Amino acid sequence: MKHSDTDLLWLSSLRFLWKHPWHFALSILGVALGVSVVVSIDLSNNSAKKAFSLSSEAVTGKTTHQIKGAAETLDEEVYRKIRIDEKVRKSAPVIEGYGRIEGMNRTFQIMGVDPIAEGPFRNFASQQAGIELSSFISGANTGIIAKSVAQELGASVGDRLTVSVGGRAYKLRLIGTINAKNDRSQRALENLLVVDISTAQRLFNMEGQLSRIDLILPEKNTESIVTDLKSTLAGGATVNRSDSRSETVAQMTRAFELNLEALSMLALLVGMFLIYNTMTFSVVQRRQLIGRLRALGVTKKEILTVVLKEAALIGLIGTVIGIISGYFLAQVLLKLVTQSINDLYFVLSVQELSIGLYPLAKAIFLGMGATLIASFWPAREASEAKVSTVLKRSSSESKLAGRLWYFAGGGLIAGLVGVGILMIPNGGIAAGYASLLLLIVGFSLMIPLMVVGMAKLFRPILGRVNGLIGKMSVRGVVTELSRTSVAIAALVVAVGATVGVGVMVDSFRATIVSWLEAQLQADVYVQPPSAVSRKADAELEPRLVDLLKETEGVANSHTVRSVDVSTNYGTDNLVAINQGASAQKTYQLKKAEPDFWQQYTADNILMVSEVYAYRNNVALGDSIFIQTDRGKAGFQVQAINFDYASDIGTVTISREIYNRYFDDRAISGLALYADEGLEVDQLVERLRDRAEGLQDVFIRSNRGLREASIEIFERTFTVTTVLRMLAIVVAFIGILSALMALQLERAKEHAVLRANGMTPGQLWNYVITQTGAMGVMAGILSVPLGILMAYILVYVINLRSFGWTLQLMISPGLLLQAIGLAIVAALLAGIYPSLKMAQSNPADALRNE
Amino acid sequence: MKVKAHIQLKKLTKSYQEGSKNRLVLDELEISIREGEMIVLLGRSGSGKSTLLNLISGIDKPDSGEVLVGGTDLTKMDEKNRTLFRRKNIGFVFQSFNLISTLTAHENVLLPLKLKGDTDKETLGKADQFLEEVGLGDRFDSYPDLLSGGEQQRVAIARALASEPMLVLADEPTGNLDYETGRSILEILNELVRKNGRTMIIATHDREICKIADRVVELQGGKLQEVEDTTEVI
Repeated sequence: MKHSDTDLLWLSSLRFLWKHPWHFALSILGVALGVSVVVSIDLSNNSAKKAFSLSSEAVTGKTTHQIKGAAETLDEEVYRKIRIDEKVRKSAPVIEGYGRIEGMNRTFQIMGVDPIAEGPFRNFASQQAGIELSSFISGANTGIIAKSVAQELGASVGDRLTVSVGGRAYKLRLIGTINAKNDRSQRALENLLVVDISTAQRLFNMEGQLSRIDLILPEKNTESIVTDLKSTLAGGATVNRSDSRSETVAQMTRAFELNLEALSMLALLVGMFLIYNTMTFSVVQRRQLIGRLRALGVTKKEILTVVLKEAALIGLIGTVIGIISGYFLAQVLLKLVTQSINDLYFVLSVQELSIGLYPLAKAIFLGMGATLIASFWPAREASEAKVSTVLKRSSSESKLAGRLWYFAGGGLIAGLVGVGILMIPNGGIAAGYASLLLLIVGFSLMIPLMVVGMAKLFRPILGRVNGLIGKMSVRGVVTELSRTSVAIAALVVAVGATVGVGVMVDSFRATIVSWLEAQLQADVYVQPPSAVSRKADAELEPRLVDLLKETEGVANSHTVRSVDVSTNYGTDNLVAINQGASAQKTYQLKKAEPDFWQQYTADNILMVSEVYAYRNNVALGDSIFIQTDRGKAGFQVQAINFDYASDIGTVTISREIYNRYFDDRAISGLALYADEGLEVDQLVERLRDRAEGLQDVFIRSNRGLREASIEIFERTFTVTTVLRMLAIVVAFIGILSALMALQLERAKEHAVLRANGMTPGQLWNYVITQTGAMGVMAGILSVPLGILMAYILVYVINLRSFGWTLQLMISPGLLLQAIGLAIVAALLAGIYPSLKMAQSNPADALRNE
Repeated sequence: MKVKAHIQLKKLTKSYQEGSKNRLVLDELEISIREGEMIVLLGRSGSGKSTLLNLISGIDKPDSGEVLVGGTDLTKMDEKNRTLFRRKNIGFVFQSFNLISTLTAHENVLLPLKLKGDTDKETLGKADQFLEEVGLGDRFDSYPDLLSGGEQQRVAIARALASEPMLVLADEPTGNLDYETGRSILEILNELVRKNGRTMIIATHDREICKIADRVVELQGGKLQEVEDTTEVI
């Protein structure tokens, strides 16, 4: 076809869109919302990753290898040995931890270094960078921060900063600032406080200890040098490549990011349904127009091309708007994503969005691709229709009516294939999402049949309530099934998605609440503030522990120690408990050897959380080799417990066994039992008074800790909730657009009714009853689909992503909310067309085109 | 290159499935039409007139038989080639006008010309000329919904003739118009078709239209019967 031929067809298409501005705008909005959600999630995830890699690069510098201790620390004697005895000149001691600087609302990474040894490693911390050595290692608490941070803080060199670490406050003199060479370094350094080793040892209560030793090993003979070093290292210290840490961290957040991406894709899928719906409408509306064009000699391919071009235009505008709004949405989501990462995994501070090409390219590909895919079938249907029948309107309805059972059969087959995929053992997350998609498609194909069935039920009811108009309204849904069923299907999927995600979050919440009930057996819990909310990585001062234990009214107590250790599975969180027999009540075991609790204080046995067992494919009877201060030691897994505090997993052993293998005597948390008859709140007050002036710690009642834990849980799910809200907005707009388009398109039918004597009020009643009936149908049908989606999200996707066993929790409120959403939107959708018709002259609509 | 207009339908059969019953609409129908001839096809509603026009234009395919238009057998062609043939050789005038609502009167006339691939200057000229000839020289930029029924049908006539088809098919062209407007439309159609030497088939149940015909045929029981005395049917 020559270029000039298409112009008139294309012009006709553009005018059609222009003449239906609501329809056009809502189609664009459908694409824009889907793209916006995907872009915002991608941008915020990428920004978080970028910030992590920048700060990681900054603190790692040119380090090639690192020596780490078995537990959190390493004796500083090891450094002397390495540097002097082993003559590894390019070695530098490092102490790493987190704290807050008063006046700054974010967590800083505190890095203790030796500026003399730093030269080859990190420019900003070395003597060459201009650190005044005499002040830096003066013995007093001193430190340096980036110049931009000092400006933000309003501090000058010589000022005193208050730094809070693990609940203890320290004064520190600012003896210099770091001048970043470029924007990249600037961003990497803006959360860093550099102090000398002895200051760091004081801040972190690590006298004589280091976090690690950084090494730059020559490329030649690296392996042999590492082997030599390993042989000289005692007490379970290890040498590892410096990038292995980043890999571990990246792995930690993989499932978290994947799930956010999947949720954003779900929003896009809902968006796709909306596009499909609006494009189908746009084609159905033009059936006769297309028939006329075909009669005049326009080929199928030309029709297909022009409809797809229209879709591409909608896709393009929607994608551009989606990218722009996605950028703004990402600013909000970035805070939430960073907060979740801080609560769950590690300290991360992200100050700004980093815009990569990849998220933009992905958005364009998805926005355009989704629109074209969703539009392909309506476009194909438009082009394939027989010219002789397309000129008669009723033909498409009779065609669909005759195919109801075929559609339902096809839906059943798609659903069964979806279930089949679910049955594949170790199917993976992708297979989970594939089956979810098939079940959604399968369910949608069954909707026309279900609508016909529901209409039979609704007709007598509405007839009784609303007389003839009620009956006519329901009948109208069935007579125009090719349009109404597509609209209802789109609404069902959109509302179903919100039900699915809502039930998933509720299930998580319910599971965690019931788990906390069992887990929190003591009356009062004492914890130091921690940089990562769900991780007990700070220590309680021994003096404080003794003081609190001896407080009047404390009947009993137990302690917890949490450290990161090296095992044959990587770096794992090891928890040591001294709870004795009462631990049996606290820990809910999924599986265990029969006499686990009798043996756990005496033997080399341990308990792993179900997440740990799932991630590392560990079963009862397997061994875990832990790097201890006594070297590598083997422990047998004899129990698997439920634990929802961490999605990385924990390994739990008894404190007696821990003390046998580790020199660490620190305590991360203390649980206290009140004397019988004593009010817990009274004891909390008493304990707080005793702790005053010693260490700033959280002393919370059982109830208080439960509430605080739930609050953290809620916070980590804020992103999900925001995404769900967005899906609701998409669903709402979908309902609105589909039903409004349907009613606007019926202007002629309404005019006939008006011409036959229907008053504007009766017409209003007719339209509202019909959209309301469709809303109720969509709301009801979204419930089973939503529950089905929730089932897969909870039992398949979550299990495959994290390994958690959750209880499916379906709250009636949530289901009613979904039905309500569908009805309210449906009613709102009816207002504009009925008002428009009531105000307009029916003669205009009755005129022939 | 112009194909000699000569239409021949040989043993044309078409039936439809209606529920469990098979309804025979055209039964081994035969007819030959000369170039430039104007045929009126009479028949009651549902007798198969539209079906016959759909088969002649290649919109639909017969169950059996041949449709020869200018020596080309449409039944041997696939859907795409039938569409391309229709685009080049057949003009349509429908009962319900069937104008493209999103194009102006002028653009509606222009459309088949552009589809044929005529050059812009030539095309514009022809469209202008035919719109003038049907008396709508002052309504070039009007959209169909702003035109009266008679005006819309005049645009449809201009559209059918502007592309210089060898055959014009009109399906109840006056069916949606009042008596007076209908007569004037017929006059325009008759004048323009004859002036341009086109072959034309008008399907109608309005026996008065027979006045303008060279030959009248009636579709009854799936077969065509020649009506010798047209005064008898009027």
